[in-house]
Amino acid sequence: MRKAFPVEDLARDGRFVRVPLAERFDDPRTARVEQGAGKNKRGPGRLTPDRPDAPDAARALMHGIFVGEIQALEGAGRTCWDFEVGSGNGEGIAEVPFELKLDMARQCWDEARHCEISIKLSAHMGTELGEFSENTFLYEAACNPDPVLRLTGVNRALEGLAIDVFNTMREFGDIAGDPVLEFCEDWMLADEVTHVKMGSDWLRKLTANDKPRQERALEFQRVVDKLFSLGGFRGEEEDSPVRLARRFRELAGFEEAEMDTLAEIAKEAREEMEARVEANRAAVAS
Amino acid sequence: MTGTHTTGGSRLADPKKPRAPFTPWDRREIPGIFTVEESARRVGNYKWIEMRLFEVLGGWVATVPELDVKLRLGTHCYHHAWHSELWHKRLPELREMNPERLTVPPNDELVAFVDAMTEPEGPGLTIEKLAGAYRVLIPAKIAAYTYHLNNTSTITDAPTIRSLKFALADEFDDWRDGEMMLQSLIETEDELQRAIDHQAKLQRLLLAAGGITGPGSIGDSYSTQEESHA
Repeated sequence: MRKAFPVEDLARDGRFVRVPLAERFDDPRTARVEQGAGKNKRGPGRLTPDRPDAPDAARALMHGIFVGEIQALEGAGRTCWDFEVGSGNGEGIAEVPFELKLDMARQCWDEARHCEISIKLSAHMGTELGEFSENTFLYEAACNPDPVLRLTGVNRALEGLAIDVFNTMREFGDIAGDPVLEFCEDWMLADEVTHVKMGSDWLRKLTANDKPRQERALEFQRVVDKLFSLGGFRGEEEDSPVRLARRFRELAGFEEAEMDTLAEIAKEAREEMEARVEANRAAVAS
Repeated sequence: MTGTHTTGGSRLADPKKPRAPFTPWDRREIPGIFTVEESARRVGNYKWIEMRLFEVLGGWVATVPELDVKLRLGTHCYHHAWHSELWHKRLPELREMNPERLTVPPNDELVAFVDAMTEPEGPGLTIEKLAGAYRVLIPAKIAAYTYHLNNTSTITDAPTIRSLKFALADEFDDWRDGEMMLQSLIETEDELQRAIDHQAKLQRLLLAAGGITGPGSIGDSYSTQEESHA
C-alpha cells in the first residue's frame, strides 16, 4: 500500500456523489437573497427551528457532518500509516513520535463512533445516506506531506470547525426540543475538544525549536480556516449559520488572539462570498 | 476509625489472629518458564507487530468502499495501538530502558510476512485485506499471547499477564468481527478462492517466520515435560 493516498482514490460505495467545492459555490442556486429592513441579507442565515427550511437545512448539515466524519476517520488512519516513527523534529522527514501515532489511532476510533452516531442521527432526522452530495476538502487537508502541517490543518482547523458545528447543532437540538440530537452533539463535542487539543499540543511540541516551521503550520491553518469558513457559513455575525464556539475552543488550547483572527478570516470569507453571489445573481438576471 | 470491633453487642473476629498470606482459592505458583530477558524479548516483538497492525488498519480505512468495514477498521485500529502502548510501557519494567531496542521483529521472515499482508490497496481487495489481518495475523497473536499467559509466572510476571488478558479480550472480539465481515463479503466461489489463496500465501510466510515471536512462539510440542519446564 502506498504511503500517500490521493483524494481521488478515496473508496466509496455507489450511494455517494462527489461535487467539487468550487462547483458548489459557483452554482447560481446558492444565491439566496432575503429582503429585510431595507437592506439585502445574503447567505443561508442562522439555523433556527422557526425557519421554514429548518428541517431540510438541519438534515443537510447532518449529512455534511457525516461525510466529514468519514474523511476525518480516513485522514487520521492515513497519519497512522503514512509516517514512520521518529523524533518528528525534521521538516520534510516523514517521521512522527510514537505517541502521536497513538493519538491518531485513538482519533480513528472516535471518528468511527462519530460516523455511527451521524448515521443514526441522520435516520432519526429522516435522511438517507447519499441524499446530499459530498465534497472532499476535509480529506485534502489531511494529505499534507508534513505531519505538523497535516495536524495543524486537520486537528486545529477542521476539528475546530467541528467544535463550532457541534455546538451549533447542540443548541439547535435544545431549541427545537430534540433531546436525542442535543445528547449526541454534546458527546461528539467532548471528543472534538480532545482532538483539537491534540493538534494544539503536537504543534507546540514538534515546533518548539523550529519557529519557521511553526509559522508555516499556522499559515496553513489560516488557509484551511478560510476555506472552512465556507463564505460566511461559520462566523460571529448574528445570522452566521455556525457560530464560533469560543469557550470550547479555549478548552482545546486556542488563545483569545487566535480566535479574534479566526473571526476576521470568517468575515473576509463572507464578504468574498457575498461578492460572488452578487455576480452570480447578475449573471442569472442577464 | 475508633478500633471498636463490636456490632450489635457481639464481638467480631480477632484482627490480630494470623491468616494465610494467600487466600484458600488462590493457587498461583512461583515457577514460570520465562526469564526477565525472554519475557522482554517477546514483549518487544508484541509491540512491533501491534504497531504494524494498527498502522495498516488505519491506512486501509481510506481504501475500502464498504462502509461497515471502514468503520470497524477504524475501531480496531485503536485496539491494537493501545496494545502497542501497553507493551511499550511494560518494556522498561522488564529492565529495557530503551524500548526501541527491543521493538523489533523476531526475524526477516516476519518482515516479509508483514510486507505481504500490508500490500493490498485497491478498493476491490477488501477480502484479501481482511483475510490477512483476521484469518492469519490475529489468530497467530491469540496463539502467542495465550502461550505466554499460560506459561509465565503468575506471581512474578503478573503485570504482563494483566496486559495479555486485556489484549486477548480485544483480539477475540476483533477476530470475530473480522471473520464475520469476511463471511458476509464472500458470496461466490471466486471470492472464496481469493480468500483461500491469500490466506495460504500469508500462512506460508508466517510458517517460515515461526510465528509472531519467531520459532517457539507457542512453545515446542516435541520437547519433553522436563525440558519445557526447565
